[in-house]
Amino acid sequence: MTAGNESVVEMRGITKRFGEVVANDHIDFSLRRGDIHALLGENGAGKTTLMNILSGLYHPDRGEIFIQGRKAKLASPNDALALGVGMVYQHLTLVPTLSVLENILLGTNKKYYLMRKYAEQKLKEISRIYGLEVDLETKIWQLSAGEQERVEIIKLFYRGSDVLILDEPTSFLSPIEIKGFFKVLKNMVASGKSVVFITHKIEEALDISSRITVLSEGEKSGEIDLDGIDIKKEEKQLKNRIVNMMFKKAAFGEGKKKGPEKDSLDAVLTLEGVTATNDRGLETLKEVSFTVHRGEVFGIAGVDGYGQKELAEVIAGQRKVISGRITLNKEDITNMPVSLMNERGIYYITEDRITEGSVANFSLAENAIFRCYKKKPYVKSGIFLNNKAIRDNGNKLIRDYSIKAQDSNDLVKTLSGGNIQKLILARELSYNPSVLVANKPTHGLDVMTTRYIRDEIRARSRRGVSVLLISTDLDELKEVSDRIGVMYKGELIRVVPGKEATKEEIGRLMLGIMN
Amino acid sequence: MNLIRIGSKQAAGVVIGPVFAILAALVAGGIILLIIGFNPLKTYYELFSLGAGTYLGITESLKRMAPLLIMSAGLIIVFKAGVWNIGGNGQFLIGAVLAAGIAPLIMDKLPIFFYFVVLGLLGFIGGASWVCIPAILKAKYEINEIIVTMMMDFIAVNFTSYLVRYPLNAQPGLFPQTAVLPIEKRLPNISLTEVHIGLIVGLVMVVLVHYFIKRTALGYEFRFAGENKKAAIYAGINIKKVIVLAMLLSGGFAGLAGANDVLGIKGSFQAEWNPQYAFSAIPLVFLARFNGFAVIPLAYFFSFLSIGGEFMSRAANVPVFFVQVAEALMLIFFGVSEYLKKRSKLF
Repeated sequence: MTAGNESVVEMRGITKRFGEVVANDHIDFSLRRGDIHALLGENGAGKTTLMNILSGLYHPDRGEIFIQGRKAKLASPNDALALGVGMVYQHLTLVPTLSVLENILLGTNKKYYLMRKYAEQKLKEISRIYGLEVDLETKIWQLSAGEQERVEIIKLFYRGSDVLILDEPTSFLSPIEIKGFFKVLKNMVASGKSVVFITHKIEEALDISSRITVLSEGEKSGEIDLDGIDIKKEEKQLKNRIVNMMFKKAAFGEGKKKGPEKDSLDAVLTLEGVTATNDRGLETLKEVSFTVHRGEVFGIAGVDGYGQKELAEVIAGQRKVISGRITLNKEDITNMPVSLMNERGIYYITEDRITEGSVANFSLAENAIFRCYKKKPYVKSGIFLNNKAIRDNGNKLIRDYSIKAQDSNDLVKTLSGGNIQKLILARELSYNPSVLVANKPTHGLDVMTTRYIRDEIRARSRRGVSVLLISTDLDELKEVSDRIGVMYKGELIRVVPGKEATKEEIGRLMLGIMN
Repeated sequence: MNLIRIGSKQAAGVVIGPVFAILAALVAGGIILLIIGFNPLKTYYELFSLGAGTYLGITESLKRMAPLLIMSAGLIIVFKAGVWNIGGNGQFLIGAVLAAGIAPLIMDKLPIFFYFVVLGLLGFIGGASWVCIPAILKAKYEINEIIVTMMMDFIAVNFTSYLVRYPLNAQPGLFPQTAVLPIEKRLPNISLTEVHIGLIVGLVMVVLVHYFIKRTALGYEFRFAGENKKAAIYAGINIKKVIVLAMLLSGGFAGLAGANDVLGIKGSFQAEWNPQYAFSAIPLVFLARFNGFAVIPLAYFFSFLSIGGEFMSRAANVPVFFVQVAEALMLIFFGVSEYLKKRSKLF
């Protein structure tokens, strides 16, 4: 890594409060030219807030920012962009129906006509220098998550950004895509760009960055310079050091190993030749058949977008099956509506925690009664909501699942992603499911919450709940599942035992390589 | 739930927006008055003194509140559920013509109380029926309800006009209108006033709807669907049911408002009658942020504006549509204040 000593960004004593919560407490942060600087911390540690300040989205309550040595006043993201600082947000901001080129021109085109020729020329150069290959005429919705991430980065280069802030860029990428993405990052810094890499994954931070800053509960808890350190040799010590910084207060334990093999083998949920289409009417789920037994965790592995979401929704009752049959304890439940699926004990944790799994403008308590608001004690005489019972239920979930919130009257939009996910898990488990469908339940979450959720799923399965666990995280699948089914382009191409299968084997199957 | 427990600071924040909007609209309206050659101070003085400073002005304003309140009750439901119904004027007319057409037939056959109840129900059914087509099209085929409810307005205007000129015309050859109800078959006044009890009906409706939305399981479904349709489907809520029910209720309330005006003020349905209350009720409900209690003072204010505007146009020759200009300005400035609020929250 060619790290110079010249710093392109200096943030000094940054403090930012949201009401009572101190999101950033006197944080110093500096970025050197040609560096990949990882900003590490668990959810709610203040990483994104700090970088939102640097990108001009938030104003700090206190503190100064220097960009290229000059004091900067950032009133809006445009000011930051003008100074060469651009941010790629965790939730991408592309227009799905427009082409790559049109998305890049959006907001940068200052003329009345589209500067296609000029843009094409410039973009060709950008992709040549940085090795960012993407077809300009393709519509965004046709691209994979990894390619969309690439478009966001190209967009920033097109605007002339020298400093790129990437907020959890790998959370939507498959393992192979991550490798390619890291190569691109290395190319970028080699040609003089500087990158802030927000992540909560220690391995990624060690893998890619030359400096690591660790935040914990709004404070900076340490900084590690990796220049001249043999990471391979000292990996263990480094990890321990970082973990201690990240979880100053909380204890960090290894995950519990898998419980004993299930003795009961009653089939609970069976799919026979289930075929369904996605929202655009394309057949994305093809002739899928499998059985989940009592107390079993059945994992589903596969590259994102290969029919996993449709599979989950078909079982949850949110999507119609075109052909095939779904049975629960020998009862045909094909194409039953959500409410009847719920009555039979099937509950579903969606991957989309922000726009599907919760209502941002509802309180935590109101979010906790999604499927049971018509039931006692939440409703009196079948008509009136019982606010006290609803609040108590919310507070109970906050306590039992250690959700970070003042009380259940807090609006969900004030919670962090990890806490929203905990709430969704807490809610679906509070209905005592007999079948739990969980789609990427730990995706984008910090180590502690991930641990917590995996343990909770394991514990439930030991008590007899059948779990369908969809994930792109192979470690998670191997740790939690009894069996793993691999999906490739909508088909379930093979089922392997969770313990014996190697990551390499599953990885090959995910790419459709069968032998 | 959260709205019920708001602190005083937030309560102030809720009030500031509409107050700012009203004041800014009056200032901007003043500038417009100046441009078209009127003295804004004098005009406003007359508006306020005629509209809110005389017995007649106050009585007329209170009477005008009734249809606005009833219609707002329905609009709160439909907007909270995330669906649009901007065809309130047509639903109002259908409710009114149904009540006006049936009233003469049953007025001597039913006890007075039941007579009012039946006509109120008829108005409600009439208004609801007029929204059936847009509701079904929206729920079943996702056809834009804004356009269809609006188009149904034009049909309602012409359909009621036909009914009043031909089948329901009480005295063919004279001015076309339904049979005029005798005074004792119209809504009685609230004791000691000259305001008919429609005002009380309106107040009760808007408060009932407020609690219905906030405190009932069905209200929760409506709010849920309005806040996040995707999450509502995920939670197993029948979105189609919510859309149809919310639209029918809002149409029903508009029709009830129509029956109320026939029974309270007019005593008949006259050709070309189209007071277009929906165009006041829609901005009013937005200004009130769908809060039933906030609707009440705003409804008075809007009534006063229109009554004061009518009086003023006679006294000072200011065109009556100036009031509509003022209402439109209020909505624009309300949008501005919402925007400013969002910005100040962000930074």
